[in-house]
Amino acid sequence: MGNVLIVAEIQKGKIREASYELASFASKLGKDVKSLVLGSGVAAEADAFAAKGGGEVLLVDDEAVANYNVDAWTRAIRAAVDATSPDVVLISNTPSGWDVAPRVAAALDAAFVSDCFGVESDGGNTVFLRRVFNGKLDARIAPSGDVAVATMQPGATPAFEGSTSGKVDKLDVSFDGLKAKFVEVREAEAKGVDLTKAEVIVSGGRGVGDPEKFQEVIQPLADALGGAMGASRPVVDAGWLPHEYQVGSSGQVVTPKLYIACGISGAIQHLVGMKASNFIIAINKDGDAPIFEVADLGVTADLFEVVPALTEAVKTAKG
Amino acid sequence: MKIMVCLKQVPHQDARLEIDSDGTWIKEDGIKFEINSYDTYALEEALRIKDAGEAEVVVVSIGPDRVTQALRTALGMGADRAVHVKDAAVDDSDSLGIAKVLAAVAKEESPDLVLMGLMADDGNFAAVGPMLAELMGIPSATAVVKAERAEGTVTCERELEGGALEVVELPTPALLAVQTGLNQVRYASLKGIMAAKKKPIDTKTAEDLGLTGQVGAAASKVKVEKIYVPPKGEGAEMIEGSTDEVVEKLLGKIKELGLL
Repeated sequence: MGNVLIVAEIQKGKIREASYELASFASKLGKDVKSLVLGSGVAAEADAFAAKGGGEVLLVDDEAVANYNVDAWTRAIRAAVDATSPDVVLISNTPSGWDVAPRVAAALDAAFVSDCFGVESDGGNTVFLRRVFNGKLDARIAPSGDVAVATMQPGATPAFEGSTSGKVDKLDVSFDGLKAKFVEVREAEAKGVDLTKAEVIVSGGRGVGDPEKFQEVIQPLADALGGAMGASRPVVDAGWLPHEYQVGSSGQVVTPKLYIACGISGAIQHLVGMKASNFIIAINKDGDAPIFEVADLGVTADLFEVVPALTEAVKTAKG
Repeated sequence: MKIMVCLKQVPHQDARLEIDSDGTWIKEDGIKFEINSYDTYALEEALRIKDAGEAEVVVVSIGPDRVTQALRTALGMGADRAVHVKDAAVDDSDSLGIAKVLAAVAKEESPDLVLMGLMADDGNFAAVGPMLAELMGIPSATAVVKAERAEGTVTCERELEGGALEVVELPTPALLAVQTGLNQVRYASLKGIMAAKKKPIDTKTAEDLGLTGQVGAAASKVKVEKIYVPPKGEGAEMIEGSTDEVVEKLLGKIKELGLL
């Protein structure tokens, strides 16, 4: 038994989908579910969460947490931990969650596991599953100590469905003397390249080798198929292509009819951005690359042999 | 001002990973190591601040002898000196154990700014930065893609989902855990490499840092039960054959999808 504490997150005035996913994870642990909802003017959302997986909700309704603030969140979560004595704290691995969770774990001198895609109860002990080595391997991790803090990967489990008989209590936290100061959120600028509307996307990764090869090998296949060219993060980081070509959690999330991944190993942040595509072809020299896990059709080969030949074949077929 | 840059040496991104005999980590023998990609951006950012004026850049790393290579590279790129925490007693620490070691080094160094990568390419925990900041009692920001300094503050742009940015202002001292792509990382010049040979690497143990018994495997609260190759699930149907055969099959599928 014991308690699990969920830290719910408000985004644009609503509880995030990822928070309902935490409720789903929490429901499997055989523990009493407690939650923390923090925001400004979010009492109705706290009620909604209590009724749908959040259980007993502690509400911090304060102007100081109207926007994400690492110091304010650390304090609020610690106050909620003091109030509920959980043995597991679940936080979403979102930009806010990954920013605050390790601080909370350090403050509690607690075990910390991040970006988990699964959690199970193994004979009463909570065990976490997560990727390591940028998705090449998985790890099964057992925390020890009085409390474990974990962040969970958004989208790894369906959101909680069903209802819970919860309640909402206010939690007072002092937010005097915060060091970090929220300035603003800048929404993404309109993209010059809108990959979200493309029917076919041909993307290249580090395996393409250099910027010229994108123009010589990747772009021609995209052109032949009447599609658009995309890229993985390392390509953009290296300055080979501008950010507007980036497919992934921090770039564009795409769902074309056909996605062809060339020389992309398949780091999680890329997979999140393309795995919902209708059909995925992956071409990579490394047969163990994680990209093949989400692909429908895979080729273990040198992209410089297959891609130009495919480009010619497509052109010939079109006549 | 003083900038402390924390570097981790990790298996090379192209290294062929094999699981070790007890199934809890990879075989480290015979593979190449490199500075964690995220950390190279942190080092570059520190060196740019140094280039722009008066700053001392101290690089800190934890690990066995091979880590000396990473520190020499960092010194070759322009860091002023290095601290190498080399002690088997620190091996198999969890993230918090590593943060405690770095906090002990930071206590000796009193940096105005601590820079490191958002996460390491091996464990992918993204934990040590914020933990270190918490232990030091200083503010932190993660996934930083831009940092601008003013008197007593640093204003950071943090990467959010889908290309949005969050701007946060931190009083210094502060810790920034940086995202890749923050800058373009330099290579060490030949002159830099030669100069690096004369730069000091200070070696320390857990005992030197007053951490006996507080770090390492015994103090770790995170136990890797096993690591394994992810189950392929349904996975991809793999096509084999000559280039012509492969292309024919791919073309057939593209036609089937109605895209030709």
